[in-house]
Amino acid sequence: MPKHVLRLILLLVGLGVVAVAARNFLVDRSFYQYGHYRGDAVAEIARDRPKFQGVAYCQSCHAAQFAQWSKGVHDGADIGKVVKCEVCHGPGGGRDPQQDYINAATGPIHPDNLKLAIPTDTRALCTLCHERMPGRPPQQAQIAVEDHAGTQQCTLCHNPHSPRTFVGSFAAPEHPGDAAAGKAKAEMCAGCHGAEGVGADLPGPTLAGQSEAYLAAALEAYKRGARSNPMMSPIAVDLGDRDIQDIAAYFASLKCEGPPSAAERVALARKAGASVCADCHGANGVSPDRSAPNLLGQSKDYLSAALKAYASGARSHVVMSTLAKGVSDANAEKLAAYYAGASCK
Amino acid sequence: MDEKEPFGERQAARRSFLGRLGVAVAGAAAAAATGAVSSRETRAAADAPPVPAIPGYDWSKRRWAFGVDAAKCIGCLRCVEACKAENDVAPDAHHFRTWVERYAYLDGEDSARIDSQADPVNIEASGAEGKYRFANRYKDAKVDKAFFVPKLCNHCTHPACVQVCPTGATFKTDDGVVVIDHTYCIGCQYCVQACPYGARFFNPKLNVTDKCTWCYHRITKGLLPACVEVCPVGARVFGDRNDKDSAISKFIANNRVAVLKPETGNAPNVFYVGIDKEVS
Repeated sequence: MPKHVLRLILLLVGLGVVAVAARNFLVDRSFYQYGHYRGDAVAEIARDRPKFQGVAYCQSCHAAQFAQWSKGVHDGADIGKVVKCEVCHGPGGGRDPQQDYINAATGPIHPDNLKLAIPTDTRALCTLCHERMPGRPPQQAQIAVEDHAGTQQCTLCHNPHSPRTFVGSFAAPEHPGDAAAGKAKAEMCAGCHGAEGVGADLPGPTLAGQSEAYLAAALEAYKRGARSNPMMSPIAVDLGDRDIQDIAAYFASLKCEGPPSAAERVALARKAGASVCADCHGANGVSPDRSAPNLLGQSKDYLSAALKAYASGARSHVVMSTLAKGVSDANAEKLAAYYAGASCK
Repeated sequence: MDEKEPFGERQAARRSFLGRLGVAVAGAAAAAATGAVSSRETRAAADAPPVPAIPGYDWSKRRWAFGVDAAKCIGCLRCVEACKAENDVAPDAHHFRTWVERYAYLDGEDSARIDSQADPVNIEASGAEGKYRFANRYKDAKVDKAFFVPKLCNHCTHPACVQVCPTGATFKTDDGVVVIDHTYCIGCQYCVQACPYGARFFNPKLNVTDKCTWCYHRITKGLLPACVEVCPVGARVFGDRNDKDSAISKFIANNRVAVLKPETGNAPNVFYVGIDKEVS
């Protein structure tokens, strides 16, 4: 065989070897397994961890919120609308890609120390869907925001979990609080709030006769950090949803009534400039609105400290923060003295 | 004449060489082909699973499809934010796996005004990139007609993007989802240009192309895609067309559905209800 022919054949064989080697060492073994792509890629793409967990996942711990939601229009599968938890609160899982916080109860997702967002600017959040806008279909509930609410937050009146129920008339919780069970659980409260929930000369405010919804909301706020206090925060963290309901029911069942008469107090209130307070907290300091606390029977120190905390921003509330900023320290003392004038007797 | 002799010999030698070369090449090709075929068969029998190894999932049983009811969409953009969170898409105003367009026909105008959440006016209304809301920009205008249209990858039956990929990095799975193998993507963006729907974008951080996967990591675990999961008004529908009782099968059966740009021959698998002639 001539030399140049041999060279050509060797060249071709060499090319063949290179081709086979390239297929085996450079191209992934699973390439062409199912088609012109890397077969292993399919399982790799499918392996990612889902972040949005669904309602069932949230429900397992947040039963009280779920109960409110499932009774309201935001869970309206029959009317073609389901606003699930994660639509407003964001994804329940996947906030911990490095798996630094693996929680035994929830698994490596939504651990306790990575709380989900509790939306604060509900005016911006709710209007994403409910602002009247050309292009929105007629079946969607829409409002002209300024006419409807001015600059107020939606949650001032609406319960976001069930918007057709209004704050102050919350639907009864799934497990109504048990006052008898609450009495046993409330033993440790007596040190500051008084044996019968009357804390007139003690560091804690009077709890007797306070509305159940307000007390439960306050404990809940301490528990998840929305309110903080060196005494209350560590206590509330250890309370379960059931404990909170029971304790709230116990103090709500106690009586707090005292002189002077309602008529006298109205007259006194005008003098002290407290008429604006009466809109929510009642003319005689007993609140007609279940979301606002009774001021009757609170100690002067507690009330003035609370007013100052709202004014400074240490405590925040959609109504109180604004009102308290217009109250001078001297007037705060006067107002506190007025409401404290009639302690529970 | 003397010069002709060597020329003729050379010609004869060349002819016989070409003949032998042809035989050699054919033989080598045959050997290579049998070798390749036999090795592939052995490998398939030995270690390759018949379907991809996804726990509890068999892609041969599913045929996924997506439905959009534009008549229900309220333009709240929860789907857009959910998609970005679920799939770690850059939280800016330029990269979207799914997006929502607003079509507004104003009184006396012939064509629709079209904007999306990425429009600077809407970004300003939202307050920040990464948060999305539609500005109420037609509040005081005379609007003849307006509506919102959610958009996403159409996961076409004949995807142009897959055809042009030079490396086999993007492909259509047997259950009907067009996905991208980011380890094989070289970032040439040929597919971005080939897609007639603008559904693909370049991810400058990873230097690869990115797009909607119908949340393949969720649907293979029995969950809905994130945008469908969060849609508060049921404007997005997803399911398995092999299951006649699934939401998507009923959606297609009970509505007169349309697809976008059918003339391109891509045969989309996202079916629309309630869109107008100008939507494409």
